[in-house]
Amino acid sequence: MSRPGESGGIVRRLWARNLLIWAALLALLVLSLLAAYVPMGRMTTASGIIIAGVKSTLVVLLFMELASAKPLIRIAAISGLVFVIAMFALTFADVLARI
Amino acid sequence: MSDESALLREPWSNFGRQREAGKFGIWVFLASETLFFGALMLTYTVCRVEHPEAFAVAGRETNIWYGTINTAVLLTSSLTMAIAAQAAEESAPLRRLVLACLMLTAMLGLAFIVIKGFEYKEDIDKQLVPGAGFALSQPGAQLFYGFYWLVTGVHAIHLSIGIALVSRLFWVLLRRQLPAKDNPEIEVTALYWHLVDIVWIFLYPLIYLPGRAS
Repeated sequence: MSRPGESGGIVRRLWARNLLIWAALLALLVLSLLAAYVPMGRMTTASGIIIAGVKSTLVVLLFMELASAKPLIRIAAISGLVFVIAMFALTFADVLARI
Repeated sequence: MSDESALLREPWSNFGRQREAGKFGIWVFLASETLFFGALMLTYTVCRVEHPEAFAVAGRETNIWYGTINTAVLLTSSLTMAIAAQAAEESAPLRRLVLACLMLTAMLGLAFIVIKGFEYKEDIDKQLVPGAGFALSQPGAQLFYGFYWLVTGVHAIHLSIGIALVSRLFWVLLRRQLPAKDNPEIEVTALYWHLVDIVWIFLYPLIYLPGRAS
């Protein structure tokens, strides 16, 4: 059993690490909200999606701990993304050719 | 280790393998969920490419405050869920922290559902349900709101399942039916919760941000 002082240090470290990630996520949320009101044409739409991509990368790597996961877990995780990319690429190869 | 023998399940002979298999299994499931929501978002994107103006008009009609506050609520629930999962893996016994964070996570999830309920009420009052008497004249706007109701509804179902899983976990840990330390159920539940959060992270710019700059 560990002493109370030691577990207090662990709790502080847990909160410090995760609060930092949380603060970054909220900052990105505010940034995407503000960017949506700036008229930049297609870049306005893109900024929202790009910021969502950064936010989800933070969640996947740090909250879901994929950054320290074993290769098998990483392959399982990335497979969903690979097939979504294939689905978007094949669909838009058709849709964009019709416009 | 008495904790490990209490958590070991058939068909595994070894706790380490059980954890790895559970984690692998949930990631495969999450990959399939990514495809499920990916297909819905693809449909949205195709419709938006074909009706950019209607989607801007429709997006402007959503309530950005409900959407932004709910995003912050869900991001905060991911924080408490991550702390619960990480605290369960620490060498020091942090059972109370795990319990407190699980309870906070479930309550934040419930808060999201309540806020969404207020938003749905406002949407219905503004006649933003596709069909006869729909408030906006552009045909593409009905496609936007078709997506809106379908995808936020499916997301709310996912979140409700998450709230039930987290609440159950809280209950069995509180009654000491299972140990908190190294419990793989906490890790697996946390991974599911984070995916539900990620889906919302992408829905936020798709639903609430179109048409704000014009």
